[in-house]
Amino acid sequence: MEVSLTAGAIGKIMSGEVTKEIDMMPVLQVTEVRQIKSQQEPVRERFRMLVSDGTQLHQGMLGADLNHLVKSGTLQAGSIVRLTKFLCNVIKDRRIVIIMQVDVITTKADIIGHPVLGGKTNDQRVADSSNKSNATGFEQQGRSEPIASCQINNTETGRSNAAISPEVGHRQGFGAGSSVPTSTPSTWAYNNTETGRSNATISSEVGQRQGFSAGSSVPASAPSTRAYNTPETGRSNAAFSPEVGQRQGFGAGSSVPASVPSTRAYNNPSAGQGVPRQDHARDPPTSYPPRQPAYQPQIPPPMYANRGPMARNEAPPRIIPINALSPYSGRWTIKARVTNKAGLRQYSNPRGEGKVFSFDLLDADGGEIRVTCFNAVADQFFDQIVVGNVYLISRGSLRPAQKNFNHLPNDYEIMLDNASTIKQCYEEDAVIPRHQFHFRIIGDIESMENNSIIDVIGIVSSISATVVIMRKNGTETQKRSLQLKDMSGRSVEVTMWGDFCNAEGQRLQNLCDSGGFPVLAVKAGRISEFNGKAVSTIGSSQLFIDPDFVEAQKLKDWFEREGKSVPCISISREFTGSGRVDVRKTISQIKDEKLGTSEKPDWITVSATIIYTKFDNFCYTACPIMNGDRPCSKKVTSNGDGTWTCEKCDKSVDECDYRYILQLQIQDHTDLTWVTAFQEAGEDIMGMSAKELYHVKYVSEEEEKFESIIRNVAFTKYIFKLKVKEETFSDEQRVKATVVKVDKVNYSSDTRTILDAMDKLRNIDATSLPIKPEGSNYSAEAVNTSIRSSGTRDPSSVDRRDFGLHAHQSGQYGNQYSSGSGAHGGGATSCNVCGNSGHVSANCPSANEPQGQYMGNSYRGTSGSYGGGGPPRQHVGSY
Amino acid sequence: MDTSSPSAFVNGALLRRYIGQKVRTVIQVIGSDTGSVVGKSTDDLQIVVRGSSPPNPLTTYLEVIGIAESDNSIRAETWTNFGNSFDPQNFNELCKLANGEFKHMFI
Repeated sequence: MEVSLTAGAIGKIMSGEVTKEIDMMPVLQVTEVRQIKSQQEPVRERFRMLVSDGTQLHQGMLGADLNHLVKSGTLQAGSIVRLTKFLCNVIKDRRIVIIMQVDVITTKADIIGHPVLGGKTNDQRVADSSNKSNATGFEQQGRSEPIASCQINNTETGRSNAAISPEVGHRQGFGAGSSVPTSTPSTWAYNNTETGRSNATISSEVGQRQGFSAGSSVPASAPSTRAYNTPETGRSNAAFSPEVGQRQGFGAGSSVPASVPSTRAYNNPSAGQGVPRQDHARDPPTSYPPRQPAYQPQIPPPMYANRGPMARNEAPPRIIPINALSPYSGRWTIKARVTNKAGLRQYSNPRGEGKVFSFDLLDADGGEIRVTCFNAVADQFFDQIVVGNVYLISRGSLRPAQKNFNHLPNDYEIMLDNASTIKQCYEEDAVIPRHQFHFRIIGDIESMENNSIIDVIGIVSSISATVVIMRKNGTETQKRSLQLKDMSGRSVEVTMWGDFCNAEGQRLQNLCDSGGFPVLAVKAGRISEFNGKAVSTIGSSQLFIDPDFVEAQKLKDWFEREGKSVPCISISREFTGSGRVDVRKTISQIKDEKLGTSEKPDWITVSATIIYTKFDNFCYTACPIMNGDRPCSKKVTSNGDGTWTCEKCDKSVDECDYRYILQLQIQDHTDLTWVTAFQEAGEDIMGMSAKELYHVKYVSEEEEKFESIIRNVAFTKYIFKLKVKEETFSDEQRVKATVVKVDKVNYSSDTRTILDAMDKLRNIDATSLPIKPEGSNYSAEAVNTSIRSSGTRDPSSVDRRDFGLHAHQSGQYGNQYSSGSGAHGGGATSCNVCGNSGHVSANCPSANEPQGQYMGNSYRGTSGSYGGGGPPRQHVGSY
Repeated sequence: MDTSSPSAFVNGALLRRYIGQKVRTVIQVIGSDTGSVVGKSTDDLQIVVRGSSPPNPLTTYLEVIGIAESDNSIRAETWTNFGNSFDPQNFNELCKLANGEFKHMFI
C-alpha cells in the first residue's frame, strides 16, 4: 500500500520541533537497520536504523524491546513505520532519536526518494580542513546545513561527540578531526553511551590509540567518524582495548579511504573490537548511530571532528618494547614487570635534599630499563610498585643511563614526573619473564675485566661464616664468602657484603651445613681482583637460592652426575695472609683431603697435643746478618775456628744465631702427624730461646734440666696453625706441615665451637649420606692402634667440609668425609663400624672401641691411598 | 683413678633424677655458711651444698661431688675450687648431653 512519509519530519526532529510522539507521530521509512553488538557485559543487541522522511535521514536507535521486530524480519531496511513512541533528545548538541514503539506499516518497500543524511555534528567538526570527503555525498550537506549536524546524541550518555574520557584513556586518536576534510557530518562521535567518546577523544594515557589519525590518511574519511560506539562498549569501529594493545590499526583511518575515520571514540576496554565496522564506513550516510551509551562520565571532549589525519606520533600498537625507547620517542607506553625495587633513599647534594627511588623493568622482548622517581613522584609511586607485578607506564622522560649505578643493558633510563602514569596490569602476563639473566660461565670470568658486572650461577660448594670487616671509612661491615662451582670445572669465590651475609648467607649456610649443595644465582655481581678473580655483591645485586630456572636445573643434574667428584680449579686463589679465616681441621683431614697437594699451600688450624719431640737437632746455627728487617737465618757453616760463614750473604760472622727447628709429633683424637716448628713457634712451645736451650744441652750440659724441660713440653695441648704443603724429596712427594703459630687452647670458646659443630651434625639428613660399610673394618683396626696412645679425648667434633674457606679440593673430599661422618650424627643411626642401622658405632656390638664412631670416619675416605705418609703413618700403610 | 663410684654430671634440673646417688656439679657460689654453701647452678637454679669441709677461701665457681639429697641439695664429699673464670654455659651443655644423647658414654 502506498504510504506517504511525513515529509519534513526529520527536519523537524533535527531542529527540535519534534521531540516526542506527542508532538507528532511521523511516518518514516527505515532505510537501514544495523545491529550493534556490544562485546562487553552485558551482551546486548541493539539495532540502529536510519530513518528517512523521504528527503533526509536520521539516525535512530531502536529500543531493545523492539529488537524482536528486526529479528523476525518485520522491521527491515525499507520498512515504513510510524513512530508511536519515541524520544528525541539533545545530548551534548547531538540529537538522538530513540524509538520505543513503532507501528510497522509496511515491511518491505522500496526506498522512497533519495534521502541523505543531513546535519553535521556541530562542534565536532573540527575545522574541516579540506579533507576530501569521500564522496559520501555528504559533504554537501554536511557542512553547511544546520540540520546536518547529526548529532545524535545518545540519550544516555549525552556525551557528545567529543566526549573523551580520559580515564580510560584509550582513545581514539580522534584527531580525526584534524584532517578530515570531509568531515561531514559524520563527525559522529558516536560515542557510545558508555564511553561517550566522541571523535576527538583522545586518551592520552594509555596512549594506545588508534592511530586515529584515522584522520591522517584517510582522505576519504567518510565522515564516518563514526563513533559508533556500541552502547555498551562504545566500541565503534575503532574499538580497542588498549591493554592488549592490538589495535586495529584502526586508524581505520590509517589508510582506509573508505574510511571511516572512525574516530570513534571507542573506548572499550574490552572491546578490542576487531572489525572496525568499516563496512559502515562504506556507506557513510547510513551508518552513524550516534548513540552514546552512557558509559563513561562525561568529560568535555576536545572537540575535534574526527576527520582527517590526526597527527599521531606513534604507530600502533601503542605499547612499545623497552628496547625501542629513546628520548625522541614522543608519547610511549611500555608494559613490563618490575624485577627489582630499590628502597626510598634520602640524599642531599649541593642543590638541596631530596629522596629518590628506582626500580628496574623487564618486558616481553627482554628489554630492561631502570626507572627513577624523585621527591613527590617517588612518594607517589613508591607504594604502588611491587616487585613481580606488571605495569603499564607512560609519559616518562628518557635520559642517558648512568653506567656507574645502572648496570642494565640499556643506554637510557626513565625518569618519571607528575604527568607520568603507572597502571597495573592484572591480566595474564606470562609472556614477560620474571627475571632476566645473562649468566656467564665461571671459566670466562678469569678473562673478564675487573669491575665489570655479570650474572653468574653455580653450585655452592662451601660457605664460610660471616666476618666483620672494617672499611676504609671506619665503618664496619659484614662479609661472607663462598665458593661457587659450575660446569666449566672452575670455581670462584663469591663474596657477600652487608645484608646479604645475614639473609641469603645464613640460609645458604644452613643448607650447606645440612649437607646440601644449593644452587645460587647472582644477578649483577662485580668482578674483582683479589687473589685471583672473585665476584662480589654490590648494592643492586640480587641473590637467588635454588631458583627455578632451566640453568639451575641443569647445574643440579650435572652436579649429581659428575660435579661432585670433578676437581674444581679455583680461579680465586687462596688468601695468603690477613683475612684468612681460621680453618679448623682435624689431623686426619690432612690426609683425607689431600691438603697441601695443590699448587699453593693450605693453611689450617688444629687443636692437638705434642706427644713427642725430636731433640737430636732441635736447632741450627743461623746467620744473624740482618736482611732488611729480618735476619738472614740461613744456615751457616762452621769455619772451624769459631767463625761462621753464610753462603747467601757471603760473609763470615763470629757469633751465629741459634734458631729452632723442632720436629714434633702432634696428635689429636683423629690422627697424628709430624710437624716442624721454627723459631717463633719453637720458642712458644719450649718456653725459652733456642740459644738458651742450646746452652743447657751442649754448653752446660745439664742433662737433667734438659730432660725435665723436654718432659714438660710433652703432652701439652695447643692450637697449632699449620701450613701444609707437599714437597718433593728426591723423587718422593711428601706432605710437610710447618707450625706457623702456636696458641694456648681457650677451652671455653673451643667448647662452644664444638657444640656448634655437634648441632650442625645433628641436622644432617642421614639418609642422604651414603654409608660405606666396607670401610668400617679398617676403621676399627686403625682406631685401635692410634687411640691407645692418645692421651686426650676430645669430644667428637665433626669437622665437615667447611669450616671456612679452604682448599677448593677439600670441598669434594669434604663431601665424602661428611658423608661418612654424617651417617652417625646425632640423628642418623646407622652404625659406622658394622654398617647396620639402629645404633651408632659407639654402641655397636662389634666395635671394640667406643670412640670408633668418629675415627672410623676418618679412615673411610683414605682408602689406602696414603701409603707413604711419613713416620706416623705406618699403620695406615697396612692397607 | 678410682672408678668405683662414678658420679653423674648434673645441673639444677637434672639433680632430681639422681636423688640418693652420687653426682657432681659446678655451682656459682652465692653465699656460704658454716657447713653449707648456697650456689646457683649452671641452669640458674638454686642448690644448697652441705658438708664438712668446704675450701676456704672459696672461688667464684665450685665443683662439688657428693650424694644428692633432694632436688636442690647435695651432701658433698669432695669440694674443688674451680676458679673465677668458668663457662657455665658449656658445662650446662655438657650436663644435658651427658644425660641425654650421649648417656651411653658416661656412667
